[in-house]
Amino acid sequence: MNLREPAQQVSARARWLWAGGALAQVVVAAGALVVVEWVSPLDLPWWAWVLLGVALASYVVVVPQWRYLVHRWEVTDTAVYTQTGWWARERRIAPMSRIQTVDHAEGALARLLGLATVTVTTASAAGALEIAGLDAVRARQLVDELTLKADAVEGDAT
Amino acid sequence: MSDWQRLDRRMLLVHPIREVVKFLPALVALFLAGTASGGAAWHYLPVLVPIALGLLRYLTTSFRIDQGRVELRRGLLSRHVLSTPVDRVRTVDLTSPLTHRLLGLTTVRIGSGTGDDDGALDLDGLPVEVARRLRAELLREAPAAAADDPAPVVDTLRLDPRWARFAPLTSTGLVLGGGIVGLAAQGWNTVGGPRLVDLDDLADGAARASVWIAVPVVAVIVLVAMSLLAVGSYLVSNWDLTLRHSQRSWHLSRGLFTTRETTLDDVRVAGVSLGEPIGLRLAGGARLGAIVTGVDRSERGSSALVPPAPYDVVAGVAARVLGSAAPLTGPLVPHGPLAVRRRWTRALGPVLVVLLLAVVGVVADAAPAWVLVPPLLALPVAMLLAADRARSLGHALSDGRLVARSGSLTRRREVLGTDHVIGWTFRDTWFQRRAGLTTLVATTAGGRQAVTLPDVPLPVAVRLADEAIPGLVGSFAD
Repeated sequence: MNLREPAQQVSARARWLWAGGALAQVVVAAGALVVVEWVSPLDLPWWAWVLLGVALASYVVVVPQWRYLVHRWEVTDTAVYTQTGWWARERRIAPMSRIQTVDHAEGALARLLGLATVTVTTASAAGALEIAGLDAVRARQLVDELTLKADAVEGDAT
Repeated sequence: MSDWQRLDRRMLLVHPIREVVKFLPALVALFLAGTASGGAAWHYLPVLVPIALGLLRYLTTSFRIDQGRVELRRGLLSRHVLSTPVDRVRTVDLTSPLTHRLLGLTTVRIGSGTGDDDGALDLDGLPVEVARRLRAELLREAPAAAADDPAPVVDTLRLDPRWARFAPLTSTGLVLGGGIVGLAAQGWNTVGGPRLVDLDDLADGAARASVWIAVPVVAVIVLVAMSLLAVGSYLVSNWDLTLRHSQRSWHLSRGLFTTRETTLDDVRVAGVSLGEPIGLRLAGGARLGAIVTGVDRSERGSSALVPPAPYDVVAGVAARVLGSAAPLTGPLVPHGPLAVRRRWTRALGPVLVVLLLAVVGVVADAAPAWVLVPPLLALPVAMLLAADRARSLGHALSDGRLVARSGSLTRRREVLGTDHVIGWTFRDTWFQRRAGLTTLVATTAGGRQAVTLPDVPLPVAVRLADEAIPGLVGSFAD
């Protein structure tokens, strides 16, 4: 028995969202490096700097693409199924009857790109399912759909 | 019980004492200032302020149970009314600090399992008998009927003080002991210990006796002191521990000075977690916790069922709590050769890298030869660790319960009722995917919020999840 991938892909614009986030992290890291170099020079050979530059650049360029290939989701009448991550992949399945809340969130960059994140929580602190980088309109529909379906199944969600 | 009523009158003694203790630094300062400036009698008057506050606290606090709600009203200037529907009450715990016990009182903490502290409602100061009746009423247990029950309630477990020998073998025991040693050292300095005993003198004496004697002696003294303190704190918190089952819930009471009575509703006991940290395991001991749903996060400690004790005792209690011994004694399915190989690479990898660097350093004459010693000593330890972790790894589905065991230094066997599993997570890194393994996590609302099965072959994990909750994972499998 093997687990198949969830059916739906997130919006292609999500790549820009992740690239933006990665860029912010890289800028902070590079800034810290510049400060360190300025205070006490590290004396790294030139090839170390090149390697570092390549690593940081690929984190901004390659990783968002990788994430986009991994991130998928699916909602059936009885369950929610998500797949996230890149190097470490995480696939989460929650039965509809255990869903407690459905959150809809739009960060600043996500709003510029017309994207939204839907988070489905259960009674376990370790069990939240997050679908990031959804098209904002699609996300609204999904929230309504999930709310209806979660109401339709019986159970007290604990 | 529909009218507002006050707490027990004996709290009139407790509250003023408590307030005086709270204001003690200010009172001492005032008192010292008073004696310095002549010592007139009115300097002692400030003592009356906390006493009056204590009286007011008693007079302004009242509670009632009315129309299906427990309500607590308190505060003089800003009134607070805390209220909880009776049918939401999940836990009723009785705690009696020493002052309360001398007066025959107890504090009733009513929890509704909302997960935050505001949800808890404390009735501070009720007579013990009244508190027990209130608990029976709130937890909807048949009151008094237990008295003429043909089968008297039998204790499932009574603490044997000899089990305290296991206390120094757990990390919590040692940390506790270490903490007390640290506090004592600080107190020693504050009190002026260094002036009474000349440490330099001691140090000189030790130096003359050579380092090779002084260091082991000090280490042994510290170890013995910490062990004694661990044993002491084990006995203080677990003295007279009794675990019994009545009607539909488990009752646990313990404590030498402060006594605690905890009640766990059968419905909320999702499973058990049998912990075997390495020290306990080598000595043939274990400890047991219940995986309980609907407890405040801050009260997670209250779900401990059996403190460190002999393995057979712990397993016996676990079997009684679960209603079957199979999940604890039954065989476990190992996770296969690839999972075993991962245990070895993960344990040996870092050590081998360090060893390689050391060898390169020594060969290139950039480092002294002794840098080889630590990694060489670490190698057999890592091998033992890997072998033990590989042996521990296993899972099973037995009697409608998911069983998972893993770890070496902190080995745990967790048993979770499948009806308490509220979701599945399959987590795998690129390395795990290449080996066809996945880390299966069953999420739940109690305990650590999840039971983890590391490095299960993916098809086995999917089948296991599908058998545990039929139809859920199956619809996404092919």
